[in-house]
Amino acid sequence: MTRPRPLQTAGRPAEGPLIELTDVRTHFATERGLVRAVDGVTLTIQRGRAVGLVGESGSGKTVLSRSIMGLLPRRGVVRSGSIRFEGTELIDAPRSTLRSLWGREMAMVFQDPMTSLNPLMRVGEQIAEPLRIHLGQSRAEARDTTIRLLTEVRIPSPAERLRQYPYELSGGMRQRVMIAIALACGPTALLADEPTTALDVTVQAQILALLSEERRERNMTLVLVTHDLGVVARHTDEVAVMYGGKVVERAPTAALFRRTRMPYTEALMRSIPTVDDPPHTRLAAIPGRPPDLVEPPPGCRFAARCAYARERCHAEEPSLVASSDDPDHHYACWYPVGTVEPVALRPADPAAVG
Amino acid sequence: MRYALQRIGQLLVVFVVVTFAVLVAMRLGAGGHRELARRMLGGNVTDQQVDEAVRRYHLDSNYLVQYLYWLKGFVTFDLGYSSANSMSVAKLLAPRFWTTALLGIYAIAVGLLLAVPAAVIQAHRRDSWIDRLGNVASFIGFGVPAIVLGIFLQLAFSLHWHLFPAIGDSIYPWQQFGAHVRNFLLPTLTLAIPQAAIYTRLLRADMVATLQRDFVVLASAKGMPTRRILWRHALRNSLLSIVTSVGTSLGGLLGGAVVVETLFDLDGIGSQMVISVLSRDLFTVQACVAFVVFIVVVVNLVVDLSYSLIDPRVRMARALA
Repeated sequence: MTRPRPLQTAGRPAEGPLIELTDVRTHFATERGLVRAVDGVTLTIQRGRAVGLVGESGSGKTVLSRSIMGLLPRRGVVRSGSIRFEGTELIDAPRSTLRSLWGREMAMVFQDPMTSLNPLMRVGEQIAEPLRIHLGQSRAEARDTTIRLLTEVRIPSPAERLRQYPYELSGGMRQRVMIAIALACGPTALLADEPTTALDVTVQAQILALLSEERRERNMTLVLVTHDLGVVARHTDEVAVMYGGKVVERAPTAALFRRTRMPYTEALMRSIPTVDDPPHTRLAAIPGRPPDLVEPPPGCRFAARCAYARERCHAEEPSLVASSDDPDHHYACWYPVGTVEPVALRPADPAAVG
Repeated sequence: MRYALQRIGQLLVVFVVVTFAVLVAMRLGAGGHRELARRMLGGNVTDQQVDEAVRRYHLDSNYLVQYLYWLKGFVTFDLGYSSANSMSVAKLLAPRFWTTALLGIYAIAVGLLLAVPAAVIQAHRRDSWIDRLGNVASFIGFGVPAIVLGIFLQLAFSLHWHLFPAIGDSIYPWQQFGAHVRNFLLPTLTLAIPQAAIYTRLLRADMVATLQRDFVVLASAKGMPTRRILWRHALRNSLLSIVTSVGTSLGGLLGGAVVVETLFDLDGIGSQMVISVLSRDLFTVQACVAFVVFIVVVVNLVVDLSYSLIDPRVRMARALA
């Protein structure tokens, strides 16, 4: 299939920081107290790069991606820190500033394509909407662009799809439509929040390949939120591993896998089964549960589940520091992997439960 | 299409069962068929006239035959004779039918016109002062009986400010439009305000739920203006309850029409039905009930078919069924 050229890539600086996060905190007011979903994240995302945000459920990765977009509930949210997008401060920015960026500069692909498309609107109109409103395209222009976009995301017979409703499409097709919507106005940054979690394994690979390809061709910045380290390894340039609302390890992807420093990252990697394992190998689960984000424990938030934890880990919180041998590799740990002997943690040890 | 025909068939059955039941109930307590004929004709009648009525309405046959002859009359607008008014029922009810039908249509239309914007704004500004105000207003509108509301409107707009007549005249839009509006406005409001209150509460609840759905968040992430998100994306996905309630509230609306027509002295089916029941005017009661059932059946058919206009998935499911 011949692929049309991407719509807009010209006129943008190719390098330099695009999104700069400084001590970003997003807390939710609940009956139990303030949930510190994101609790002090500092991170710079470079233009044109693919950055993975990794962590288990409740680590704060999704809330962080929504914080960058500004797509948070209007009430019950306490935010602080600084989020700069192309130099514009987004925290406390008026809704109108955000709306001028949404769709045009930053776009988002959600996790579940079954619920993220309007069930009562034709697919064509859902893609054409931002084209008409943001780019001022006429009905006919928007139709042509929509067909081009559908072709670009490899949806067969795109002209016929325009008149279909989401329920007439498979999950994979719907996710392609979501990507077409996100790409419609040629955004600078695309935030994909677990874009393949709800899809079949075979379709997952196709969707990720499509996202990577679009990023390269459009020189777009991609923030890929996922719990899957395998996905990160194949599709990102850099990774930030999140735990308990904080970034605990940050490195270029290759370095992260070559020389893992943070015990949590190591535990995540161990929990991935490999084809070399004999049948019926017990999966290496991380014992315990993620920490309570209302009253986080003092010290390292992972200490309760960590095989290397010492007394200091339970008392003092390590900060994110650059590795002595690699200035791009940051980790927050007193006793990084390889410096002390692990202590055996029984998987069902109640004391290990945070 | 096949679905529509099926529904029409079902609703015809409803119509037949109800009108047959009314016919039997009205004729049951009369004693013999000559006694029944005498009652139908009312007043002093000769034996000859009674014989003629028995022959004409087949009163000596069983109820089923009587019903079939009545049904034949109904479809040809031969509705029998009103003993109390000494005129044919068709002539008596034709203008009254329009009064009630227009009141019903206006009440639903004005109710929706008030409710939809109120509910959309309330859902958008949930828990704000405007939402609270709307909740209180709809609670009051829902709780005040039609007779109290109607009298209040009369006192305020007719007796105090002299804006609208308290005692109405059934003038139709094709006769004198301005006079029609003046005469129908207060009765319409009396019926519409409680309707609007119900519609508002239902739609607000549905909108609040819809506004939390993923596709609404996606519409935000696409940078769509708030107005478009509310009216184009969320509203259509929130219509199910309110559309259903238009159909089910119609019974109450026609009940309310009895009160309103009496209060504002409009000649309608509702007020006529009460008078005719009291004067045992059999043919008129029968025809009034038939019209009411007919209206309810038609509106419910429209409601039913509108589901598939709103939701393509319903259309699809019905096409396959």
